[in-house]
Amino acid sequence: MTLASPTPAASGPAVEATALRKTFGQIHAVDGIDLSLPAGRIYGLLGPNGSGKTTLIRLLTGLASATSGTVKVLGVDMPSRENLARIGYMTQADGIYPELSVWENIRFFAALYGQTDRAAMLRVLELVDLDKRLDTPALNLSGGMRRRLSMACALVHQPAVIFLDEPTVGVDPALRVQFWEHFHRLSAGGATLLVSSHVMDEADRCDELLFIRNGHVLAHGTPAELRERGGSDNLETAFLAFAAPAATATVAEEAAR
Amino acid sequence: MNVHRVRAVFVRIVAQFRRDKRTLALLFAAPLAIIALLGWVLSSSSSSSVRLAVVNEASQQVVGQAAAVKIEDALAGQPSIVLDRSVTDDAAARQALKDKTLDMVIVVPPDFSLQSRRLDILTLGLNPAGEASSLPAVQKALLSELADQAGAVLPTIDRTTVYGSPDATQLDTLAPVVVGFFVYFFVFILTGISFLRERIGGTLERLLATPVSRAEIVLGYSLGFGFFATLQIALVLAFVIGRVTVPAIGPMPEIGIGLGVKTIGNPLIAYLLVLVLGLGAVSLGIFLSTFARSEFQILQFIPIVIVPQGLLGGFFWPINQLPDLLQPVARILPVTYAIDGLRQVMIAGADLTSGDVLLDLGVLAAIAAVFVVLASATIRREVA
Repeated sequence: MTLASPTPAASGPAVEATALRKTFGQIHAVDGIDLSLPAGRIYGLLGPNGSGKTTLIRLLTGLASATSGTVKVLGVDMPSRENLARIGYMTQADGIYPELSVWENIRFFAALYGQTDRAAMLRVLELVDLDKRLDTPALNLSGGMRRRLSMACALVHQPAVIFLDEPTVGVDPALRVQFWEHFHRLSAGGATLLVSSHVMDEADRCDELLFIRNGHVLAHGTPAELRERGGSDNLETAFLAFAAPAATATVAEEAAR
Repeated sequence: MNVHRVRAVFVRIVAQFRRDKRTLALLFAAPLAIIALLGWVLSSSSSSSVRLAVVNEASQQVVGQAAAVKIEDALAGQPSIVLDRSVTDDAAARQALKDKTLDMVIVVPPDFSLQSRRLDILTLGLNPAGEASSLPAVQKALLSELADQAGAVLPTIDRTTVYGSPDATQLDTLAPVVVGFFVYFFVFILTGISFLRERIGGTLERLLATPVSRAEIVLGYSLGFGFFATLQIALVLAFVIGRVTVPAIGPMPEIGIGLGVKTIGNPLIAYLLVLVLGLGAVSLGIFLSTFARSEFQILQFIPIVIVPQGLLGGFFWPINQLPDLLQPVARILPVTYAIDGLRQVMIAGADLTSGDVLLDLGVLAAIAAVFVVLASATIRREVA
């Protein structure tokens, strides 16, 4: 698969966020996050359930409006409808139409993204190994196949920046390996990927990691750097090392009130 | 506004329907079945005869006795009346009414006299209005017969109406209205559920992550559902207006398909009215799907949205016969304007030069526009 070479604003970062905040009532889902992610790499967004990963991705794609702060993707202020044509977003839910066939699903999302090239649609289906099932209704696909179709729908327009929210949940190990191989091909082609996960064993496949907890970025670096700074060969232990002081601080803050 | 994206939404909705055979069947077969049933009920009710008995409680006096005999003779010859001479006393009459072997009993009271010519009518009372529906026929039969014997000439009364004919059956006036009501109901329910599925199935989130705009989504939906509404309206109108008689073949008796309701209006204008009503229902469905968390909760909107419009929209009673407080309510309901417009067109033969029809169309378009704006506003509502 040939990727259209992404056209980020010259050499600026692919994804940029400044003092990003999102509150739901009393809950600070994203609590002051600053990001500057250069293009062409795979970023892993790691954190426990409810740490703010999905909210952060929704803010970065412009699907949620920030309480305060700014987001730029490929140099364009978000939310921007036009800019979404250069962004791919695979949601946690499959987000495909069960009554429609594989081909009807891909054709629909392609049309919304302005992708009219049938060959490109077929290529992306080939890539997720669904090109032999064009006429199968999504309803009749297995869970893993639906996941793959969902991914194909997010990639059909050859986006330069791709957000994948827990793409490997419910995916068997063999397919998971395929997914990651594909992510690396995409990033080698110049795309920027932000992959959220709560599975630490996927972390080593990323170029850089962001540890997220309680709406904060606890740490940001390559897996090797984070191991070293966290003082552990195990990323999970390293994560806890970063998390511990923050947790203690929170308890202290609450005690002070 | 991007034509390709609107077209994509339209094509997708048509494809989804095509694969959902049961919903398609519901969309087209259900209204026909219900209208056919309605037509059957309303047309045959006039041909049934009333079963009647005369109970004479004045048999002790000459005048009463004579009157009872005259009444029985007068009724016996009537085509739509079946006289039961075996029932002669009050107890037997009441039992016969309870057993449903009699519909009505005429009682000649004990004090019947030449001065007080009062008769009593006894019916069961479970459905007083329906039971009394044959009363005018009985009265007419009695009057003409008794007048003949007295040598008097009764005045005759002929009814005429500005539009249509006074002989128009209930079916003729109800059929146009039913067309509009069906489309409103089906389009509302189907859009509401379709859009709810987008919201809870995560596809709306995916749509909003593409460059498609809210207006393009609402327009695509309107075109998709408008397309099916068009087919439904065409089929239902053809069924209501047309009548094809299939000649008897072998053992099959001759059957008529379609109601053949008399109309002098332009079906295209009727279609236009129903289509604008339906487009309002698309946006209303999208709008209200925001307030539902499941398909079941969409169905809960039926008593709130559909039933009041059926009761107040002029379906059964003219708006100006409603209680004063309810009249303004009826005047904000879209179905009210569709029903008025459809009657103007199909019964009075009004066309687009008629101020009434233009007003109805205008109000329907305005209501649709309001809900398009409301529906668009709810689409960006944050899902998470």
